[in-house]
Amino acid sequence: MVVTFQLNGEDCRFDGDPMTPLVDILRQERFLTGTKAVCREGFCGACTVHVDDEAVPSCLKPVGLVQGCAVTTIEGLSSGNQVLHPLQANFEAADAVQCGMCFPGMVMSLSAFVRDNPHASRPEIKAAMVGNICRCTGYERIVDAVADCLDQARKAGQLVGGIHV
Amino acid sequence: MAASVERLFTAASTIEEALAARRQGAAVLAGGTWMMRDPRRGVDLPEAVVALHRIPALSKVEIEPDHVVIGAAVTHAVLGRALRAAAGFEGLVAAAEGAANPGIRRVATVGGNLCALDFAAADLAPALLACEATVELQTFEGSRLLGISDFLKDRPALLTEAMVTRIHLRRDLIASAHIRLPLRQAGDYPVAIVSFAVDKDKRCRIAVGSVEPVARRWTALEQAMAAGPAPALDPKRAAELALEHNDFQGRDGKEAEGWYRRQVLPTLVRRAVAALLKTEGLAWL
Repeated sequence: MVVTFQLNGEDCRFDGDPMTPLVDILRQERFLTGTKAVCREGFCGACTVHVDDEAVPSCLKPVGLVQGCAVTTIEGLSSGNQVLHPLQANFEAADAVQCGMCFPGMVMSLSAFVRDNPHASRPEIKAAMVGNICRCTGYERIVDAVADCLDQARKAGQLVGGIHV
Repeated sequence: MAASVERLFTAASTIEEALAARRQGAAVLAGGTWMMRDPRRGVDLPEAVVALHRIPALSKVEIEPDHVVIGAAVTHAVLGRALRAAAGFEGLVAAAEGAANPGIRRVATVGGNLCALDFAAADLAPALLACEATVELQTFEGSRLLGISDFLKDRPALLTEAMVTRIHLRRDLIASAHIRLPLRQAGDYPVAIVSFAVDKDKRCRIAVGSVEPVARRWTALEQAMAAGPAPALDPKRAAELALEHNDFQGRDGKEAEGWYRRQVLPTLVRRAVAALLKTEGLAWL
């Protein structure tokens, strides 16, 4: 079966088993290895991507369900040569990244969260991270960086529609 | 990656189209969060699936003055947002907003939660039992309405030739609460769940999930609560009655053994009644 969708703003065509997990296509066919396949059960969040702007686990998303959708991976948020997403910039400034395994998923979950919840409290930030497990246990610094990101956006007056790339 | 597998995948745009695919033997695919883990459980993915996400009628929540209709393909996240302002459904909202984790809640559906036969820890099942929900099934012969208790009891047989399309709720609750006990604070399967609702006739409806293989009403406790002297909705008294009328056989599982699931129930009942008393509907008590 042929499935077509937008991947980081470009047309993507997949011809194969429609029940293939999206994460496998991203990593094995498109070589977008920022998306990590860790638990493959939706518990760890390392495979989180945006599908039509919603942060979802790509390990449990059969590619057949993304027909016609827009998929954004960590590589689509910023290539690294471009200006970073404000959240990525805050993570870098706060030196919040440890081993880096959970981080692409963490950024994808929380970038959607800060976009939709510009006035989020610290407990709300923590609740948004429930599905993203960090085995380096660096949670507090991540929460600090998200709170700083929201503070900076508030001060810069960017919060009417939330934070966007 | 199994790119060479020849699999039939139908994205149905109508219920009739979905039924036609079911007739051909296709399995129903909703959010995929349960089915996509079949290979991890040593089960092959179905050779033919029919996806429901393109059927508009199954993806909406209709809130009327006296009833609510929930499409089977509505996600937990959408359900929680839709009912947040609907008085009496606090328990169902807590179930929808507390299950699993945010990413799963954006994908996992109401129908999937009720139709995953081996998923004892489904949050929506006890919450909908406490609402006395009615399940609408589409069969090859037409549609059929069934109380959720009967649906949960008979679903292995029912789902061989029917699919869940909608859930119907009466708006007859004045308050409800949903208390779950996960081993971590959040994000994993609950050891036990108690859903507690009070209807307009001041009748308590109590349901338990995750303790036995299938969620069910706690009728022994409901009867004891009804027979008790006023004020019946006292957290401590409710916990004492729960201890006295605990008729559950706990299931052993990797998160917890059966005796523990059973033993925590009185504490969860106490928490549920305390949560009920904080709702707007019961603030007058």
